[in-house]
Amino acid sequence: MQDLLSVIMEPYVFVPLIFPGITVAFLLLLVIIWLERKIAAKVQLRYGPLYVLKPLGGAIQMVADLLRYLFQEPIIPKTVDKLAFIMTPALLFGAAYLPTIAIPVSPTFYAFRNDLSLLIVLALSTLAPIFTVVMGWASNNKFSLIGGVREGYIVVSYEIPMFLSALSMAVLYGSLDLVEIAEAQKGIWGIFLNPVAAITMLVLMYMSTSKFPFEIPEAESEIVAGAYTEYSGILYGLVMGASYVKLYVLSLVFAILFLGGWNPIPGFMANDPLLPGVLLFIKAFIIIVIGAFLRAVYPRFRIDQAMDLGWKTMLPLSIISIFISLVEIMIMGGA
Amino acid sequence: MSLEERELEVLIGPQHPASGHMRLVAKIDGDIVVELRPNIGYVHRSVEKLAEVKKYLQIIPLVERPSLADTTANNLAYVMAVEKLLGIEPPPRAQYLRTLLAEINRIHSHFYGMGIHGVMIGSSTAYMWCFGDREPLIELAQELTGARLTYSYIVPGGVRRDLPQGFEDKVERVMRYLENRMPDYFDIYFNNPVTRARLEGVGVLTKEDAIKLGVTGPNLRASGVPYDVRKAEPYAAYPELDFDVITEEAGDAFARVMVRVREIQESIKIIRQVLKNIPDGPILDEKYMKMIPPNLRKQVEETGHIKFPGVFANLRVPAGEAVARVEGGRGEVVFHIISDGKMSPYRMRMVTPSFRNVILFEHLTKGARVADIPAIYGSLDYFPPEADR
Repeated sequence: MQDLLSVIMEPYVFVPLIFPGITVAFLLLLVIIWLERKIAAKVQLRYGPLYVLKPLGGAIQMVADLLRYLFQEPIIPKTVDKLAFIMTPALLFGAAYLPTIAIPVSPTFYAFRNDLSLLIVLALSTLAPIFTVVMGWASNNKFSLIGGVREGYIVVSYEIPMFLSALSMAVLYGSLDLVEIAEAQKGIWGIFLNPVAAITMLVLMYMSTSKFPFEIPEAESEIVAGAYTEYSGILYGLVMGASYVKLYVLSLVFAILFLGGWNPIPGFMANDPLLPGVLLFIKAFIIIVIGAFLRAVYPRFRIDQAMDLGWKTMLPLSIISIFISLVEIMIMGGA
Repeated sequence: MSLEERELEVLIGPQHPASGHMRLVAKIDGDIVVELRPNIGYVHRSVEKLAEVKKYLQIIPLVERPSLADTTANNLAYVMAVEKLLGIEPPPRAQYLRTLLAEINRIHSHFYGMGIHGVMIGSSTAYMWCFGDREPLIELAQELTGARLTYSYIVPGGVRRDLPQGFEDKVERVMRYLENRMPDYFDIYFNNPVTRARLEGVGVLTKEDAIKLGVTGPNLRASGVPYDVRKAEPYAAYPELDFDVITEEAGDAFARVMVRVREIQESIKIIRQVLKNIPDGPILDEKYMKMIPPNLRKQVEETGHIKFPGVFANLRVPAGEAVARVEGGRGEVVFHIISDGKMSPYRMRMVTPSFRNVILFEHLTKGARVADIPAIYGSLDYFPPEADR
């Protein structure tokens, strides 16, 4: 037992399996979907999920939903491309969760340390949309096809400005290593040094994970559920969870880039992964909750308006954010 | 699909989250709608034919059913046509009560349309709020008539029930609540930049087209045509009331929503006037009042609930032809009844506003984007069962 615990507490096991990896991602999924519905219900003057564990306001509603998804028959239509149809949900979920391995939990606790860990996270996070497009094609359904194409259009409009604004922080801190970037924010957080980059990245994060007002690839009143139209049962459960996991990963990156990661943390606690990990998680959680709250506030944009926003507003803003970083480096005399 | 073929035919509905009981056959080129043809008739209930075998009083619930959110307009227009044939004029108090219910119904019908429109462009909050704020009005109507939606309140010669005790205060409370609530809608929905981006300049209907296509109701007034049956051919208590015909100039989806919002405010004004000016007196025509047996008549006078005189069961309407028009929540409702003196009409024609507005689907969506289809659909406040009848 002791041995097992010590194996689990090894960073290269703990990070992918516990935090920020699959266990916490999964628990978060159960909590955040409930919370999203509960927040929307609060704004809309109703109860929201209530009857599954009533004393806690239906907190385990998603457990019930998960059970339903598990026991529902996943219907596979005759005309679909079977291999692609069945494989993509798992690949999509996996690709969404994969970047967590490169995210550090504390200055000393990480699965592996790499000079390029920011790039690794960003690069891995671009994998997931490919599977959404494949899904749209494999489903052999016109709504799925339109949804897949929409996802493709959205990807090209958010990816470049989002990466530019993330990389502007790398320019500012003179490093692509997430540990170093977080450690560089012991004093001032990145969001105060470069607010333009922070806002750009935040908006584009919500765009990349189909949060309102960018819930365009699965717009219900237009194209039913976009690329996910033909999915049912646990296959649908997986694809629905994937965008939340992606938001979780990007929120962790956002917390490290702009919100000081695990800072502020007292020096003697820095070697213990618990407190830094909790701090990092709370910051990421706040970002996710803001995303969930947007559902209650905004209708959804049209695809052309979202692309306009990406190319005409966010891209110039992200370039400006790089200049802001460069100017600040010059003023402060190099990083 | 060959490579040369650029257009994709998408069948939206009848099993689609936002199609309603109809099918929209859309031909799209990329994200542009080339052609959109509404395929209606999925909820045809042959109301007109059924009316030919039903008795005159049985037809009241029948004509209410097709337009569930706006039942009073159908009820009122039908009864007005029957009254024209019978040659009776309801007493003034009944006229005011009819107006009161019609305006309560107009407000909750507008909320219904705005709510559906909200969820069609993705604002679940607008949907929930509209449906929530519809509730106090439905409760009012329930207290007045005993039913939440299908009131069957208006009968030949008058109305079924008098004002309940303390109804004025309750109405005033609801009206004040609505007035306080409207700014919230503007904060979160109407002035929301995303709502504006989705609705402004979308589905523009010019004044000329609106007249040419025979559009009716708020959709017509949003294109700057100040036409309202309540003013053009006043009925019930409207000639004695002071209100404006709401128009907007833009003619786009947002203008259509704004007309509804401002009409709600206008209806609040009308309801207040009705309750202030309502005259005392009977609520059923004297001729029918006399036919109620004396002991029941006493009960009617005490409770304010009409007991139908026996003649209603087999109401015979003199031979002739009558047309009645009413401005409902969604537009002009027309009833044309031809009677041959029997217990059922020889022919009843029912023209509903949705049926006249359905032409807009094809007209407004040409060249719009795929995402504009629900934005335009919702802005028309189109209700398939009402169009199909």
